Amino acid sequence: MQQHEIHHFLLRYFHANQCKILENKPGYLVIQLTVELDKELMNRPFYWHYLEKTGGVAKPMELTLITNPSLAPDDIKGEVIHFGSPRLHQIFQSTKNLAGYIRLYENYEAPPGTQTALRPWLGLNLRISYQCDRKKDLFKSIGLHLINGQMVEQFHDKLLHLSLTPKIPDFSFTLSPFIKPNSGVMRVANFLQSEIEKEDHTWADEARIRWQKDLQLLERFYEDADEKGESFENEMAALQEQYEPQVHISIVNGGLFYLTDEAIS
Amino acid sequence: MTLQINFDATWQDEFQNRIDNDGPWGNWDLFKLTIEVENQTVIPAFDGLQVDKHLSNLTPLPHQLEVAEQVVENMNGKAILADEVGLGKTIEAGLILKEYMIRGLVKKALILVPASLVSQWAIELNSKFFIPAVAQKKSYVWEQCDVVVSSIDTAKREPHRSLVFEQNYDLIIIDEAHKLKNNKTKNYEFVQSLKKKFCLLLTATPIQNRISEIFNLVSLLKPGHLGTETAFYEKYKKNARSLDDDEGLKELVNKVMIRNRRQDTGIEWTKRHVETVPIHFSKEERALYDAISSIHREGNWMTDSQFSLMTLQREACSSREAVFYTLRNMLKKQEQPSVAFQQKIEELIGLVENIQQNAKAQKALEIIQQINDKVIIFTEYRATQLFLQWFLKQHNITSVPFRGGFKRGKKDWMRELFQNHAQVLIATEAGGEGINLQFCSHIINFDLPWNPMRLEQRIGRIHRLGQKNDVHIYNFATKDTVEEHVLKLLYEKIHLFEKVIGELDDILTKLQFGNINDHLVDIFGHSASEGEMRIKMDNLTSMIEFAESVKEEDQHAAT
Repeated sequence: MQQHEIHHFLLRYFHANQCKILENKPGYLVIQLTVELDKELMNRPFYWHYLEKTGGVAKPMELTLITNPSLAPDDIKGEVIHFGSPRLHQIFQSTKNLAGYIRLYENYEAPPGTQTALRPWLGLNLRISYQCDRKKDLFKSIGLHLINGQMVEQFHDKLLHLSLTPKIPDFSFTLSPFIKPNSGVMRVANFLQSEIEKEDHTWADEARIRWQKDLQLLERFYEDADEKGESFENEMAALQEQYEPQVHISIVNGGLFYLTDEAIS
Repeated sequence: MTLQINFDATWQDEFQNRIDNDGPWGNWDLFKLTIEVENQTVIPAFDGLQVDKHLSNLTPLPHQLEVAEQVVENMNGKAILADEVGLGKTIEAGLILKEYMIRGLVKKALILVPASLVSQWAIELNSKFFIPAVAQKKSYVWEQCDVVVSSIDTAKREPHRSLVFEQNYDLIIIDEAHKLKNNKTKNYEFVQSLKKKFCLLLTATPIQNRISEIFNLVSLLKPGHLGTETAFYEKYKKNARSLDDDEGLKELVNKVMIRNRRQDTGIEWTKRHVETVPIHFSKEERALYDAISSIHREGNWMTDSQFSLMTLQREACSSREAVFYTLRNMLKKQEQPSVAFQQKIEELIGLVENIQQNAKAQKALEIIQQINDKVIIFTEYRATQLFLQWFLKQHNITSVPFRGGFKRGKKDWMRELFQNHAQVLIATEAGGEGINLQFCSHIINFDLPWNPMRLEQRIGRIHRLGQKNDVHIYNFATKDTVEEHVLKLLYEKIHLFEKVIGELDDILTKLQFGNINDHLVDIFGHSASEGEMRIKMDNLTSMIEFAESVKEEDQHAAT
């Protein structure tokens, strides 16, 4: 992530959270936090607790974030934000927490006098992690039609082309799903599982070979001992944690999307 | 073989909740941002390092990044990092820890370091790597913090010990790991019983004396890598000093150990200026030294304590206080000292009391005034340290003491005082390890350690990455004493001083004919006359020179 991308990202994050941007200059930002965001980011529970007890007037903080120290004026005091900074990762995490679940309707302008039927989709964005003593991740976005069971990949990209709104538009009505949302989640999980099983697993085989090698060394080390004892068990467990190949699927976010027939092709 | 696939169901439960309660639902803009973040933080490949993208306060050196990559990609996260002093092993360990944390392979990490380094590690990890490492000060830290820095001595003791074992650490880092060379110690046993998924052992001196040390270190990291203990010693001589004797063993060790030398790194180092400062005893000091030396030759006086007699000689070269302290202890130790013994000691104490001036201290004062900048004085003796503190104060020079026995907080405080308020830091041997003082560029070796590795550790405190000035080292050696002999042998004849530790390693491990220290005890303790001493010393020197020439031939043959 380049510095200007970070700048842009921060702007959108604070906008989306209804914060007032007091200054937006090259290299830095000054933001007036809302009460909600102050609680989310500034970690001062005692202050808020005190306010609740005394009934005082809440004064959420101003936050100055420097996204490029060489562009920002020297007398600006604030936090320098870069890709590795804990503050940015806190904001990443907060973004995720604030938008884990969603329900949206397609804003379709129907010809006057007609009613538009919106069909329920389950949209899931997932992270698949392949892990042994090494690790890599894969991002997947999958949509499931909750009436006919159709499954679509790169669902999120498709949604980006649509106009979506949190309130059901006038002259539109929703159809009820046949598939319950949670069994939809399981369908997606099972689908991914069978897809992963079909993949090339050389990485896992290689990890098992490394594991096996170290196990043999370990057994050789203890072969003279009559009682292998606790430390042997301990080392065995450590090797399993180190090498055992596993795949983890976790949901980043997702929700229900009510779309017209034509929306997803 | 079937692959285990886990599906995290936590999202799902809350989803049902939100449907039942008709919300609350997230904001579409934030939802989209989340996916953008996800695409930025997803790591699409097993290979390569992510860590460099996350550091803004640190530009790792090429050799440091190479080490990190090597450990993650080829050594499966278990390695001995054995770079020479001052090449930044801490940085390497930090890079590896951070890489694993970014990839989500490490959440909990335990970092065991000498007590004097605990705060420094915690500060460096926080400021350079943005890793929220916490110095263990209260027992709740074990459970509540993910990255904990502690000393082994604290961690191995109850109530900490049980708490440590309850945690499931993903990575364990041990600094100054050469202290674990003996597998019979409590510390070794403690580290052995920790579960080590990933593990880094840091040491600048993986072998100090014998290859059994490397066997113990490797077996801690990866039991069985060098076979069982019995099989290993059947195959290799327990007392062998060098890995180079056996190509197979060397290769095996190199699979789990990385060692960079200064000359490999391509970094320009500031220069070292080494100056030997000859010291002339005053008449009274000479009288004491000669009296001690003459006992030495009488031979029948405490025959089994040659070493303590030589200690006395060396102390006489340091300060009268050091001698007095030892004499008093010798007297105390004997339950019923013979009259002759008591008389001798009293006679010596009388000579001690005659001494009015310390020649070395005078010289040190002169140099410190001349330098007019920060200076570290190293001495082997506590008593000398106390004396020097008093002495410098008499001459209006501010100084702070430093020794291994200080508690962590006190060490940090002393370092801080030295950096900001005092001109001189007076350290004893145990204090030489583990503090970084690169803001200072002068060292006075008030007396010399006989193990050149220790000397290198001393110099390594200031001659390391981050040192901006040339480094000046002043070695004090009193004329016509053991000290001068040792200096001649170790530090002039073989020019060990000019060398950095890597080359030194090579030479020392080539010495198949015995431990240097044993030889010195023999030469200075058992020689009947000056003549015998000189001959033995010449022999030792030529053997060392021979070892060196062998090494040079090796190099020629290799190139």
